[in-house]
Amino acid sequence: MKFGIFYELSVPRPFSRANEWLTYHNALEQCRVADELGFDHVWAVEHHFLEEYSHCPAPEVFLTAVAAQTQRIRVGHGAVVCVPEMNNPIRVAERAAALDIISNGRLELGTARSSTWTELGGFCADPDDTKKTWDEFCRVIPQMWTDDDFGWEGARFEMPARNVIPKPFQEPHPPMWVTVTTPGTELDAAERGLGCLGVSAAPFAEQERRTKEYYRRVANCDPVGSFVNDQVHTLNFLYCHEDYRQAAALGLPMVSAFSMSNAHLYFTREAYPTRAYQTLGNAGAALRSRGTPNGSAPADDPSVAKGLPEGVGIGDPDHLVRTIRKWDDVGVTGINFLLNAMEMIPQQQVLDSLRLFATEVIPQFQTPDERAARVHAPTTVPDVSPTDATATATMPEVGEAQAKQVEAAR
Amino acid sequence: MISGTASVGELAAHAPEIADFGAESVLLGGVTGLSLVAELRRPAREAVLPPGLHPIVPPAMSLLAWDVGASPWGAFSAAFVRVVCRSGARARTFCVGAAASTASAVQGLQTQFGFPARHADVSLRRHYDEVGLRVSAESGLGGGGSDGRGKGHAGRNGSGNGVMLSVSALDPDPLSVGDLQHVGSMNLAHTPLGLRLVQVETHHEPSRVERLAARIDAFDAAAWGQPLLDPYWVVSCSVSLEDIEIPAIRFVCDPALPAAEGTERVQ
Repeated sequence: MKFGIFYELSVPRPFSRANEWLTYHNALEQCRVADELGFDHVWAVEHHFLEEYSHCPAPEVFLTAVAAQTQRIRVGHGAVVCVPEMNNPIRVAERAAALDIISNGRLELGTARSSTWTELGGFCADPDDTKKTWDEFCRVIPQMWTDDDFGWEGARFEMPARNVIPKPFQEPHPPMWVTVTTPGTELDAAERGLGCLGVSAAPFAEQERRTKEYYRRVANCDPVGSFVNDQVHTLNFLYCHEDYRQAAALGLPMVSAFSMSNAHLYFTREAYPTRAYQTLGNAGAALRSRGTPNGSAPADDPSVAKGLPEGVGIGDPDHLVRTIRKWDDVGVTGINFLLNAMEMIPQQQVLDSLRLFATEVIPQFQTPDERAARVHAPTTVPDVSPTDATATATMPEVGEAQAKQVEAAR
Repeated sequence: MISGTASVGELAAHAPEIADFGAESVLLGGVTGLSLVAELRRPAREAVLPPGLHPIVPPAMSLLAWDVGASPWGAFSAAFVRVVCRSGARARTFCVGAAASTASAVQGLQTQFGFPARHADVSLRRHYDEVGLRVSAESGLGGGGSDGRGKGHAGRNGSGNGVMLSVSALDPDPLSVGDLQHVGSMNLAHTPLGLRLVQVETHHEPSRVERLAARIDAFDAAAWGQPLLDPYWVVSCSVSLEDIEIPAIRFVCDPALPAAEGTERVQ
């Protein structure tokens, strides 16, 4: 089980320069502490115009700072919005490669297509096209990283042959992921050999069903990159305190506030009828909620709060160990935690929570050797040997070979 | 999280009355429906909503129009101007103005479901390659209008000739019937429980849905009761052939309180 931290960089109202500065710099301090404590990943999203919910439009900048201030933790650029009005795929490949170099081969690249009209409309992007452009980005970026003479004539992107430089530090290239909000996107990930980066909550049973199907399909995938990334990560919240009641008292309002701010986004399906977006995001909770457990309130009763999803990482260490064991049983290989929302939890308590979790919970799932080792992506590399095209070999530990090259260069 | 800042007292001045919640659901048959979403300028974001509702970013308006072939109120046409919002975590719209073409439809919409309906000429016409919607006030009831400074393809305020709303849409592109999302209305009304936001859901059974490129040729915000509305950027427009059920009211909410605190169940 891998443990990561995940940043939307949500900022409290009233907005001020100071509030945004504080949110960014608190997050950077959390990343430094997480690195020292043995967390495996730090992820940062790309969102635009999502006031309060996410003030993180340039994750590559944030992650470059993280890379420069940490030693071990992997940096998750997740996810790049694969919509040409927002990002040119050449620039994505270039920026990601540079970040991989700066971080000494610690980059993970997530891909996404945006789910809100606020973002797509702001860039005058066509919602009908985002699935197609995402697919094309996923195919061209790994080729740009590995091909010295890459050209492309696709449906939504074309370029004459060039050598897209620099190449990433990791060989053959960093692991690639897809953020999964809408049910079914995990299958798109599986069929392309991309890791499944869950960013929306699902009950254990639903997550287990989707995870099993993902593993079944990824085993026979046609990878878009040079290897298969068959990891499944899920998104969660974290607030760990010795006293369960104190954890709940501080953590649950944070979860509720974040979920509410998410429900207040203007999802594409609500604004723009299209086949390409089939769900209403969290704003559609009324359409799928089961109402209160005893059936006293129906699903669309506005007074019924949406309630907490199963398996939320709020509680004392024993509770969190039990919760994570359930996630382990479901088949996820990693959990990425949101540590705060709108800075509701004071920074010192966020850091205390991280330390307690690292001391009491992580050791239940990772050995001391695992925690001390360089984090590497447990991926497989297709053997290109013509005698056995289907064989796979374990990918070399990322960093070891490169570290030797660096030492030699020095 | 931001909430509406409109004065409930001022909004109440134009709210219709629902004398009792005993009304049954209403079936509308043979409906041609038009749905248009347009972004609003920022000043309208909080200012047009009561404190119990939450605006979205960017602020947006949802125009709805029906040409109804059969209903308990007879055949009629109607148009609704709604501001996209959230009630608690749920997607909703706040209906700021409505117009219907017959007296019985006006009365039904007002007294059974709390729509702030007025009588007007409402014409929704669907042709093979275009759709037109025109709402005109009865003589002397127009809002008068103001100068429009919207972006090129979006709405113009006021024509000064009684036209409250004019929309033209071209080039229908077929969609699956499930591709169109319907969001319920919160209507402010005087009810037996007091002044309340009445939650009105609609259930749709479409047989055909098309998306079109649309423009708002005229929009008289004052005539719809909310001068701050300025739909300057059209997001989408769709037309559908469908039957619609408006179920009986089940929930109301205190307009001054968030949904989690102010909701009451009436059936």
